[in-house]
Amino acid sequence: MATRDKLIEVHDLEKHYNKGSIHALDGVSVDICRGDVMVVVGPSGSGKSTFLRSLNLLEVPTGGTILFDGVDITDKKVDINLHRQRMGMVFQHFNLFPHKTIMDNMTMAPIQVKGMKKEEAEAKARQLLERVGLGDRGKAYPVQLSGGQKQRVAIVRALMMEPDVMLFDEPTSALDPEMVGEVLEVMKELARDGMTMVVVTHEMGFAREVGSRVLFMDEGHILEENTPGELFGNPRSERLRSFLAKVL
Amino acid sequence: MPGEWWSQLFDGMSKTSFFNLSFLPKYGKMFLEGIEYTLLLAVVSVLIAVIPALILALMRLSKNRFLSGLAGAYIAIFRSTPLLVQLSIIYFGLFGAITLPRLYLFGFIAIDRFIPCVVALALNSSAYVAEIFRAGIQAVDAGQTEAARSLGMTAWQAMRLVVLPQAVKNVLPALANEIVTMVKESSICSTLGIADLMFAAKSTASATWITLGPYTLAAAIYFCINYPAGKAIEAIERRMRRGDQR
Repeated sequence: MATRDKLIEVHDLEKHYNKGSIHALDGVSVDICRGDVMVVVGPSGSGKSTFLRSLNLLEVPTGGTILFDGVDITDKKVDINLHRQRMGMVFQHFNLFPHKTIMDNMTMAPIQVKGMKKEEAEAKARQLLERVGLGDRGKAYPVQLSGGQKQRVAIVRALMMEPDVMLFDEPTSALDPEMVGEVLEVMKELARDGMTMVVVTHEMGFAREVGSRVLFMDEGHILEENTPGELFGNPRSERLRSFLAKVL
Repeated sequence: MPGEWWSQLFDGMSKTSFFNLSFLPKYGKMFLEGIEYTLLLAVVSVLIAVIPALILALMRLSKNRFLSGLAGAYIAIFRSTPLLVQLSIIYFGLFGAITLPRLYLFGFIAIDRFIPCVVALALNSSAYVAEIFRAGIQAVDAGQTEAARSLGMTAWQAMRLVVLPQAVKNVLPALANEIVTMVKESSICSTLGIADLMFAAKSTASATWITLGPYTLAAAIYFCINYPAGKAIEAIERRMRRGDQR
């Protein structure tokens, strides 16, 4: 939160399905600044995943604009692949490439997309794997890893591209309870290092402890946006109060 | 071979008996060549079909409506008309216009007939194999493409590096089954005088007046090729599924 320069400016984002009968996102506007850890919470079906997936255009919005570092990436003329290199993403189901070793999972995009040299990519991968305690698993295949290990690999795979922002789509929801901690720990360390993060999660503890700001979404709208202390301690809307009563 | 002890087994047997194989000493070689011809026809056709089928499948899955429609039309036409009709049109139409040299492959395969048949079978097979590929590609979890694209890969990089290598595994058993199907279907080429297994049976029957024996033998041979092949594919499929996990 040291600087307040805006990295992502979302304006009036809309995602309508079925000829406009379903509004997954209905006019979402928010600024994400460098260094922010923006946590998005809300009931299922509230549009929080759709919102996150719109930020790197995995979900193509039907209206509104997204400025990423000043460039409107919803413009069809913009090469989205260039911008996606700078936005890492971590998925609920890990989505590691099962036919590749952990090492190849990590080095594939840097080599193929950025043209990085193989040795350089592998050295960097080893360093990152070391950092998340998996330095000895480079030769393993994803199927040989536990859920928590897979998700840690998925995080460092995204970091290989040296992104400006990391997007997390319910990164702990598919994990056995005893593995949630190890993944959250890696995310906390990232946050401490100053990484800009947008995190969709049900982990209210993480939101409270690590979040710099929290968004509460419901039915495709942002109902409340505040610091974690205020949002959890002093909810303004009835909808948020009833949500918190159920999840806390 | 004539005069060997077992040739007397069939003495006095009726010409219409299922098991009258007295033609074997004289016509056995024709059957052996017929087997080779049939296998060659089936394997070569399906292998040639693989590349066009992959292109058709990618066209079918493309967002471009023209490409997808074109591939869809090709697949619909080849799947909705009989192979015999397709074969006749290609043999008399396309290769009526082109004259192929009268050369022999391995001494018994006349390429001026072999090539039109392979082309027809391959065009037909590519429609079916395209659908196999499309299903195999679609069976790869969408999250794989999303992960690849989120790392900045282009759609083609994601397809080539992430989706297709995984789809191959889904597709191999079905592709092997297509060869088994083709071993049977290719018998239709005998109507054009292709000297395959079916042709050997037909010629033997008309030359010897033994009406059933040659066909029983052909049926037995087709069965002995396809049944074990089908079982082997099933076994491989089971083993591959065991190692399948995300």
